[in-house]
Amino acid sequence: MLNKIYDWVDERLDITPIWRDIADHEVPEHVNPAHHFSAFVYCFGGLTFFITVIQILSGMFLTMYYTPDIENAWKSVYYLQNEVAFGEIVRGMHHWGASLVIVMIFLHTLRVFFTGSYKKPRELNWVVGVLILGVMLGLGFTGYLLPWDMKALFATKVGIEIAASVPFVGGAIKTLLAGDETILGAQTLTRFFAIHVFFLPAALLGLLAAHFIMIRKQGISGPL
Amino acid sequence: MHRGKGMKFVGDSRVPVNRKPNIPKDYSEYPGKTEAFWPNFLLKEWLVGSVFLIGYLILTVAHPSPLERQADPTDTGYIPLPDWYFLFLYQLLKYEFASGPYNVIGAIIIPGLAFGALLLAPFLDKGPERRPFKRPLPTAFMLLALASMIFLTWESVVNHDWEAAKAQGEIREEAQFDTEAEGYKIYSEASCIGCHGNAFEGGLGPSLATTDKTAEEIMEIAKNGVGTMPAGTFKGTDEELKELATFIDELTP
Amino acid sequence: MSNNRVSRRQFLNYTLTGVGGFMAAGMLMPMVRFAIDPVLQKAGGGDFVPTDKKVADITDVPERVDFAFEQVDAWYTSEVTSTAWVYKNGDKIIALSPVCKHLGCTVNWAGSPDHPDQFFCPCHAGRYEKNGNNVKGTPPLGPLDEFEVREKDGLLQIGKTRPNTLV
Repeated sequence: MLNKIYDWVDERLDITPIWRDIADHEVPEHVNPAHHFSAFVYCFGGLTFFITVIQILSGMFLTMYYTPDIENAWKSVYYLQNEVAFGEIVRGMHHWGASLVIVMIFLHTLRVFFTGSYKKPRELNWVVGVLILGVMLGLGFTGYLLPWDMKALFATKVGIEIAASVPFVGGAIKTLLAGDETILGAQTLTRFFAIHVFFLPAALLGLLAAHFIMIRKQGISGPL
Repeated sequence: MHRGKGMKFVGDSRVPVNRKPNIPKDYSEYPGKTEAFWPNFLLKEWLVGSVFLIGYLILTVAHPSPLERQADPTDTGYIPLPDWYFLFLYQLLKYEFASGPYNVIGAIIIPGLAFGALLLAPFLDKGPERRPFKRPLPTAFMLLALASMIFLTWESVVNHDWEAAKAQGEIREEAQFDTEAEGYKIYSEASCIGCHGNAFEGGLGPSLATTDKTAEEIMEIAKNGVGTMPAGTFKGTDEELKELATFIDELTP
Repeated sequence: MSNNRVSRRQFLNYTLTGVGGFMAAGMLMPMVRFAIDPVLQKAGGGDFVPTDKKVADITDVPERVDFAFEQVDAWYTSEVTSTAWVYKNGDKIIALSPVCKHLGCTVNWAGSPDHPDQFFCPCHAGRYEKNGNNVKGTPPLGPLDEFEVREKDGLLQIGKTRPNTLV
């Protein structure tokens, strides 16, 4: 039955070459932990992507209850964590995932650095990777404010003050982030929500696509 | 493969009639211990992923994600703390060479240089050598950066008063009271309000809303201090103190 | 005939870029202007908050002045109360913020009997001189902030805080 459906689609869209291209590429021995246990360091990139998928999914589900509004944000988070079935777990996955993804991307960066894998011809992929790290940190920073609890508000105040200390344009950056020259309030929360949920994830998906296409094109760097 | 003239298509589309067989490449194409990505290698990756997921789920169940009380911008006594992976930056700003007039060094220049160097690493370290020991400078810089990040994070963690922070952030019940009452006027005009909050919810000092101390004990503390609260903070008359202590004693959450 | 005449393909490419640029600009211009609006908004003139303190009554001894103002945060309006320590330095009116630079407690003038000419923070015994300068050796790391002040109809008006300019 499934084969019939596959053939039916394949006849019309010729999907076999696309699919075989993804499936049939060789993975060298030196990155395979089954052959050398030390090759587990090559897993960090894959795990980063795995947590990213969890983050995207759990984040999508969290917005079913979350309200980006200074009067209701905290209440909605409190509600979804304490009243909704499995709310504690879904929020927990998003919360701990945010930390784990930083750990994993950090380990992945170190692996690539110490194996010298960023050298010619893989320079561009390294640059894209560092940009992904930047986007991840941005996601962490903007997401920290969303529960609108004490630590969120005051940590964001510190963060915005740091941004404001940029020479010349600091004030404008601060206003652009916070939505107001002096108040960190309603407009800051909606802005951070938009950045966290739409702008940065869009950038992240684009960069991830570039990252993967380049890996596929160039292959994994050889053994040391 | 048939190309060009004489090629047959499905209907009026540009999909060729001749199906390519959906079979994996011959395994002799992966010599030695090299193996196919699908399904051989991916299976191993997913096994690692499954073990990881189990640990991850145990973590989320064992440690519910923290939620402090609702943000109150007027509570200026709160000591802020960023998420753990920004702690090293936060700590950097506490040092004299990176704070006050030199804030821009700690906030912009040092992190900017570090991130810029990381971003441009392939163009700074252009030699063909890949082994860490054969390119001592990049390795040394990375280890140095790593060591300073770990050190700064550590310093930040040991210098933070975690218990005070926990008490500051706790979800507290607010007291119901009459802001026109004599007791509240005394409270807000004395320095009590600075540490114990506009609504007795606490701040630098503990919450008074849920205190189980008697009026006598409260008077005693206001005069002689307790813990980090210095003696002689209350400057009013004894009658005012009595009124205040009774008022606090009668607060109900 | 000139060697660098534009070929048909080049012409089409240029035109395509132009039309694409027009479409991108047409889409993004309203959105970008929408996003950066807070940066371009002029701060309103009503930044000063009236108090009921008569300027003539201000002495050279710091005095506590309470004031309340409506803080408008986009679609939220809230009543915020604040305090200033106000005194005259010669003819100049000085208003200092009572927020301690150590951990944000509230400082009092002559709050400690041992130091009648200083601001005193009861939380950790931080002290400031009359001009707001922090006394070395006490916890605060910087001087007290200063409010902008002005006079209107004989009454004191208080504006935004700024870093201390007296020290």
